[in-house]
Amino acid sequence: MRIFDIHTHPILMGSGAKPEEIKQLYTEGKALGIVGMNSLGDVSFYGHCPDAGQCAKINDGNGHLQRLFPDFFTSFCHLNPTLGERVVMKEAERCVTNFNSKGIKLEKTNNASASCMKHIAKAAREFNLPVLQHTWTVHGIAGRRVPRSIQSDPTDTATFARRHPEVKVIMAHLTGFGFRGIAEVKHLPNVSIDTSAGYPEEGLIEYAVEQLGADRVYYGSDLPIREQSVTIGRILGARITPKDRQKILYDNAAILLGLN
Amino acid sequence: MHIDSNTYLGHWPFAPLPSYTAGKFASHLTDHGIQQALVSPLNAVFLPDPMPANRKMFTAVKPTPALIPVPIINPTLGTWQDQIDECLHLAPIRAVKILPNYHNYRLTHRQFEPFMETLATNKLKLILNVRLNDERTQYFALNLKGVPQTDIAKFLKHYPTSHPLLTGIFRPELKQLASQCENFSADISFCEWRNTLVDLLTVLPPQRLLLGTCSPLLSTRGQVDKLNLAGIPKKSKTLIGSTNAKRFFHL
Repeated sequence: MRIFDIHTHPILMGSGAKPEEIKQLYTEGKALGIVGMNSLGDVSFYGHCPDAGQCAKINDGNGHLQRLFPDFFTSFCHLNPTLGERVVMKEAERCVTNFNSKGIKLEKTNNASASCMKHIAKAAREFNLPVLQHTWTVHGIAGRRVPRSIQSDPTDTATFARRHPEVKVIMAHLTGFGFRGIAEVKHLPNVSIDTSAGYPEEGLIEYAVEQLGADRVYYGSDLPIREQSVTIGRILGARITPKDRQKILYDNAAILLGLN
Repeated sequence: MHIDSNTYLGHWPFAPLPSYTAGKFASHLTDHGIQQALVSPLNAVFLPDPMPANRKMFTAVKPTPALIPVPIINPTLGTWQDQIDECLHLAPIRAVKILPNYHNYRLTHRQFEPFMETLATNKLKLILNVRLNDERTQYFALNLKGVPQTDIAKFLKHYPTSHPLLTGIFRPELKQLASQCENFSADISFCEWRNTLVDLLTVLPPQRLLLGTCSPLLSTRGQVDKLNLAGIPKKSKTLIGSTNAKRFFHL
């Protein structure tokens, strides 16, 4: 079974950029049936609010991966909407031109419902790019709390998608936004989800397929923060049809990113 | 075939999990290469006295020898000794599990002294469960944190001749604890990072790691694949997958 991982950070906190490390990642991925990885960049390296130069360096890291294994890595460009329209559009254009960026990756820079997100929507429209938004439940959790100003609850990601129905949104981190997040975006046809991050909690894959349909679910790992054998195993072990499994693990990404 | 050191049977109110009977659960585990499993009653997590759930579990697993019952005990209840006595009477138990955060006590509680003596006298292993789910994703009605790693370290130092199994411990917590104490083993259910086991074996010998899936709360297939597909020597996989559990629980 072919697998495409839409959510990876091969270079994280400055580590993983050496050619031998990338080759090892490529080899390990191939052994698991992974035919391609989408790199989202070293998005935490410069803190929550990277400047224009830092965003460019993060995206150059993606280019580095693609130069070494052009048939294996695709990438989304990391943008900081708080820097304004001019900076956002310039970097998006640079990434599309230089790296053939396939989408936009947004991390914990601002809340997804913030007004500056209009710059992202403009870039997404202009360059025909999907927007992958880091999303995690904010309400009532006992664990590590990230301020709402930078952490997007599924309600915030849904707000962005509702304001810009013409923009394709991928709400990232299935275990992070959970059952409530799936319900939040069910009636927003421009929103899909990825299965990255968190522990492989039972029932979530099945619920996502039941509520959204398998066409709106992408396999993602959040590598190296998660183990790909586990993140793939949770899909292989889910109580869904083989056809839906294939859609999640490869077909949906192939269509979205034009892999064939 | 593997031995799973961390499974549960019963109802979990925060997710639409499959409702397994003991037989169906054993079949599910077998489908994923697990021949035997240590199983505890989920219903005991939310009962003030865990014994009604323990009794039901003993009855449920009796016809299913692949499931080895591990009762949940609350050592801070006035009846803790009665709980252990009754469990010993009901089944040939090999271990008991404690859930300090769910049952609202610290590991420094005064009743741990006689409790630990009783476990030693009866040759019962202690399983200290650190968490049942990730605090960052748990349902808001379950606002709990894992058992603090500092408390576990103090506990292990206070009982140097004990050797509990820690289940549900996070990878960074485990690595930190490994630098402080040697008298424990741990399951791998809540340890995850790229090449998890390669990483863990840099701080712990394979003899102190046990396969635990935390099924059915977590994906059995995903958890088993963490071991099966790990880039570690086959001998280490066998130790983690079954040999250590056989030795630890005298199976």
